[in-house]
Amino acid sequence: MRTGDYKQSYGELVALIDSPPVWLWSAVLLLALIAAPFVLNSYALSFLMIILITMTGALGLNILTGYTGLISLGHVGFLVTGAYAYAVLVSKYHMPPLVGFLGAGVVPALASLIVGAPSLRLKGLYLAITTLAFSFIINTVILEMRWLTNGARGIQVQRPEIFGISFDSDAAFTYLCLAIATLTLLATLNIRRSRVGRAFVAIRDNDTAARVMGINLHAYKLFAFVTSAFITGIAGALYGIYLSFVSVEGFPFLLSIEALAILIVGGLGSALGAVLGTILIVLLPEATRLVFSLFSAQMDATFTTGAQELKSMLYGLVIILFLRFQPRGLVGAWHDIRRTWVHWPLRY
Amino acid sequence: MQYLVQLLISGLAIGAIYGLIAMGFAVIYKSTGLVNFAQGEMTMITAYIAWTISTTVSGNVFVVAAGAILAAVLLGLIIERLVMRPMLGEPVFATVMVTIGLAVILRSAINFIWDAYPHGLDIGIGRGIVHLGSIGVRTGQIAVIVTLLLLLTAIWAFFRYSKVGVAMRAVAADDRTALLMGISATRVHALAWAASSVIAGIGGVFFALSYDLSPAMFQLGLKAFPATILGGLDAVLGSGLGGLLIGITENLAGGYLGSGMKEVAGFAMIIVVLMVRPFGIFGERDIERV
Repeated sequence: MRTGDYKQSYGELVALIDSPPVWLWSAVLLLALIAAPFVLNSYALSFLMIILITMTGALGLNILTGYTGLISLGHVGFLVTGAYAYAVLVSKYHMPPLVGFLGAGVVPALASLIVGAPSLRLKGLYLAITTLAFSFIINTVILEMRWLTNGARGIQVQRPEIFGISFDSDAAFTYLCLAIATLTLLATLNIRRSRVGRAFVAIRDNDTAARVMGINLHAYKLFAFVTSAFITGIAGALYGIYLSFVSVEGFPFLLSIEALAILIVGGLGSALGAVLGTILIVLLPEATRLVFSLFSAQMDATFTTGAQELKSMLYGLVIILFLRFQPRGLVGAWHDIRRTWVHWPLRY
Repeated sequence: MQYLVQLLISGLAIGAIYGLIAMGFAVIYKSTGLVNFAQGEMTMITAYIAWTISTTVSGNVFVVAAGAILAAVLLGLIIERLVMRPMLGEPVFATVMVTIGLAVILRSAINFIWDAYPHGLDIGIGRGIVHLGSIGVRTGQIAVIVTLLLLLTAIWAFFRYSKVGVAMRAVAADDRTALLMGISATRVHALAWAASSVIAGIGGVFFALSYDLSPAMFQLGLKAFPATILGGLDAVLGSGLGGLLIGITENLAGGYLGSGMKEVAGFAMIIVVLMVRPFGIFGERDIERV
């Protein structure tokens, strides 16, 4: 039985995974995900793709909002910039997809410097509103730059072919999403346990205190913005490829809210939380539909006609209920369950 | 020249609507320290209720106005009691996220209850045109500017002279000390939500009078944001005036730079203002201690 955490060196304290069972289960999960495209039908596979893409984006926002504590209401702006960067480079200028993905990361990262710079002076709500303003401005910029972006008509995007491997089929594209999502997860976990990650968390907890301890606020806040925008931009490119069509309408403001909802539901400031939150939020409308259809066919019909409204109502309700009753999110609930399991019948 | 004056007048009129909603934001911020992201949706519900009253009960101006104000008060009180009061004492981030959740719920509820088509609120006034020299102005536009100015004065006097107004300022400044002085913070919050809902609701009804009701109306809330930020979140009067400023800027940008610029002029303006004065033009800088 595991009786406690016996850490004897700093290396052990910051280890990525600190116990063999977690290694085992992570490996099992990864293998299951690799096997998934062979087992699942195309309907379930599309959910898997959406979960992996959303997870990448949520992990991006998690660096900024979860780790560094800078609330962004405009992350859909980075998402749409990434999608357009990829679409313009690959579909319009026929660059290789890898260059497209690089551009999908770099262009939002540069844009984030423009938003991040004025944000250095702002905190909390004022920052949230500046990022909100940014996402509206970026939409207008995209619509106005018709020579590059086709304006409101949008751009068609093909599934990519990298190193001679075609990602045209759903299964292959799932593998691409899986690879990028896994890399992103590893990257954020590694950022969190490094010097940079500790600086982020220090800024989140109290920026004045962090500054007194010698953390360069401006540099780290900008770094958080750039990293977060880079990752979110790549998620945007993936989403654009998934939709096979990039337009401003494809990236509504609700996505920003959805991303924040994911972080809150999962547990703010935790990569595991972002993953759990994504799974819950993406599957929530589908799960609700299933429950409704169990009750009666008539309620099922209501759900189909008002699907969009009910879906967003659910987001709102889930956000409010989690904030009210489980502010630490799914991760907090998981920690509580685990502690009770390990220590039972003792309280702690 | 005439084009410029025309732009200025319609800018003032839409700016007055933004100003009213921005005052709604500021009233809540001033007494609870929160930004209410559901303000646009609350505005919209009041306007839709006014429209429903005018089509089903009676088109009389006074009936519609009384019904809308009553509905707005109830809406504010219900939201405060059911959603916001349980969050009392939670971190600001959590509480603000709750208002975002509320906004999403209210918006879909509106689409669910009413249909997605635009409706004109027709109660016999507001669409007539008055000629000032060679320039035609809608009566609704004049009315909304006058209403804004009247409300600005009333609210200034309320916060300056009335006991309740002073209590609200006290709760905003330091809720714990205010509690010790015998002020009921929950009642002050309830009052603030009701007042904010009414002020913003008036803006919404005027919008419905001059333009049309549609599911996209919640964007009024987003447009009024820059106004509040410009004036300073804690400055009720500043927010009202900020609304006028944003309305004029928006219309000038739309008139001379193209319609795309109209949508974002307000947002571009607040980014510039926040870089210079991070707490708004009329807002107070708060000093933070570790």
